[in-house]
Amino acid sequence: MQKYAFLLLSTIAIFFISCEGSEESKDWKRSSWNEIEEASIGTTVNFMMWQGSPIINDYINNYVKPTLKEKYKINLSISSGQGPEIVQLMMGEKQAGSEEGQVDMVWINGETFFQLRKIEALWGPFTEKLPNAQYIDFSDPFINTDFQQEINGMECPWGISQFALVYDSTKTTLPPKDLGELENFVKTHPGAFTISNDFSGMTLLKCFMAELSGSPDGLDGEFNQQKYDTLSAQLWNYINRNKKYFWKEGKTFPKEHSKMDQMFSSGEIVLSYGFSEGGIEEKVLQGLFPESTKGYAWENGTILNSNYLGITYNSPTKAAAMQVINFMISPEAQLKKADPSGMNVNTVLEISRLPEAYISSFEKIAARKYGPSLEELSKNAIKEPAPEYMLNIYEDFRTYVIEK
Amino acid sequence: MKNKEKHIGFTLFVVFAVLPFTLAFGYAILYSFGLIGVVNEGFTLEFWKEVLTSSTLGESFLYSAIISAVGVLLSVSLALWVVLKFKESFNNKYLSFIIYMPLAVPGIVSAFFTYQLFAQAGFFARISYHFNWINSVQQFPDLVNDNLAIGIIITFISLLTPFFILLYLNIYKDEKIEELSQLSKALGANKKQVALKVSLPIMLKKSWVLILLYFIFLLGAYEVPLILGQESPQMLSVLILRELKQFDLTKISEGYVMAVVYTMVIMSATLFIFSRKKLRNNAY
Repeated sequence: MQKYAFLLLSTIAIFFISCEGSEESKDWKRSSWNEIEEASIGTTVNFMMWQGSPIINDYINNYVKPTLKEKYKINLSISSGQGPEIVQLMMGEKQAGSEEGQVDMVWINGETFFQLRKIEALWGPFTEKLPNAQYIDFSDPFINTDFQQEINGMECPWGISQFALVYDSTKTTLPPKDLGELENFVKTHPGAFTISNDFSGMTLLKCFMAELSGSPDGLDGEFNQQKYDTLSAQLWNYINRNKKYFWKEGKTFPKEHSKMDQMFSSGEIVLSYGFSEGGIEEKVLQGLFPESTKGYAWENGTILNSNYLGITYNSPTKAAAMQVINFMISPEAQLKKADPSGMNVNTVLEISRLPEAYISSFEKIAARKYGPSLEELSKNAIKEPAPEYMLNIYEDFRTYVIEK
Repeated sequence: MKNKEKHIGFTLFVVFAVLPFTLAFGYAILYSFGLIGVVNEGFTLEFWKEVLTSSTLGESFLYSAIISAVGVLLSVSLALWVVLKFKESFNNKYLSFIIYMPLAVPGIVSAFFTYQLFAQAGFFARISYHFNWINSVQQFPDLVNDNLAIGIIITFISLLTPFFILLYLNIYKDEKIEELSQLSKALGANKKQVALKVSLPIMLKKSWVLILLYFIFLLGAYEVPLILGQESPQMLSVLILRELKQFDLTKISEGYVMAVVYTMVIMSATLFIFSRKKLRNNAY
């Protein structure tokens, strides 16, 4: 018996000893772009991104991946994860003292950026080094600020979109534009509206809170506890007062926004919302939403925000990651991204800074047939508030509305 | 020779079952006290205090226990009834196939299936609309994502009943209940007495351990309540994972506290069941 216990213990010991660190990596911040390009040839870059949209997956798998392989000899390998999953992975790697991360690039914004900064899991600043960064207008407050945090070169803008409300024009012709109209709307259309208990739903609540503050920039600046307490009390009052007219009489709320898309398409709910100007164009083209779907902005404003690409602190191929990001913000990749039959995402590039040929290509992009364009909505654009607002709203929505 | 085999078997069991579990449990305990964790600051009892003074964990435990108990009770009752009433039919190949096919369906698929059938804009709702029993989406009763967890219980029943039918058919054969029933009838018992005093006691006595284990299994279910449950109260695994993945990194330890409490409760219950089993020693 003792012999076997000894064998067991030594197996465990060997297992632990074999987890060692690795060599020092070069300081890419001081290298030239040529050195970076050379070092990335033949490497593999692991990109963790949200894979919930077939159109985005198509763009990445059928355009970005093959082009990277052909032009730069880089293998792009995709893994699925967003927000909390990315943060959990980085937390685990930090705790394990892992020197060579499993993931090199991440697709992030807002609170994820906030949390990753908190645990120092991002590498940078690196955006200045990218040749294509010259086409991005970093003085634009909707680009250089991510949820009221200055990006300081720690993440590179990739896409920009505005939150919008969505409705079926055959079921209603006068969708509500402010909280007062919404109150009447749910009374005349009971059970046809709800708020999902996720990122998109909380963004809607942030727009409502901005309206309660009295102006589009009411929530700007650092988190203010007093302001939050006053406004949130009003918000919970408003919701609790009207929730009996919501879906399922407000007794529960859908866990995720993707469920709401299904409910909207089956007619269970009549008023919905979403990023990418409501995400209407792609869903109508997929056949999920009816062609009578329309999108619009809230009177006081809906949130306009950018999403970004970051590099992990322990990425073993930082140079290649920079090369990949540089390609993804290149005019040609952004042009393909803006294709209405494809991803149809607004570009982060400042069109006036581009070479002649690209300027005309961008201008020739066909307008959307179903969803509103960013230009139409941007006059009602408001900035993302500080991440602490989201943190508190998530918790308090549960405490003051769901659990009541 | 036999001794060596026993030792190898024991070592394998320790390495592949006990060791990973102990390491994970140890990790969870350390995390719950704040001793590890990237944003934690050292030993603290605040997370334990927070969880134990709030009613969330207790409510979730009670809610999950009731749902699991109802699920197991209904599945077992249904299985017993089917076996006692229709035992001959299971000799037919095609009927057995239909009853056992749900066994091959994983929980998450069953959950989606239940959703598609019973949602307010789902299959049954559309049929009711066609027959003019309801006039609008909202008139169809609340069967999924509802307070009574009806959708969850339906899915649990569809997952468990085929297994229990299979189990009870085997027990019926092994314990020679058919012969015993004939004997009782010959001694003058009627159908009801045979069922209540002969068949049911034997079948239940032989399966009570499995019934309890399935209760524990349903208690920790994840995908089914994730898809079909409501936001509050939530079943245990859904609640614990929500806490572990939460936005506020400093509160993740609370999720670990819940995981530790849940594990300790289940471990004590399991130890209790198996200590009693030694005394009784005639169940499976």
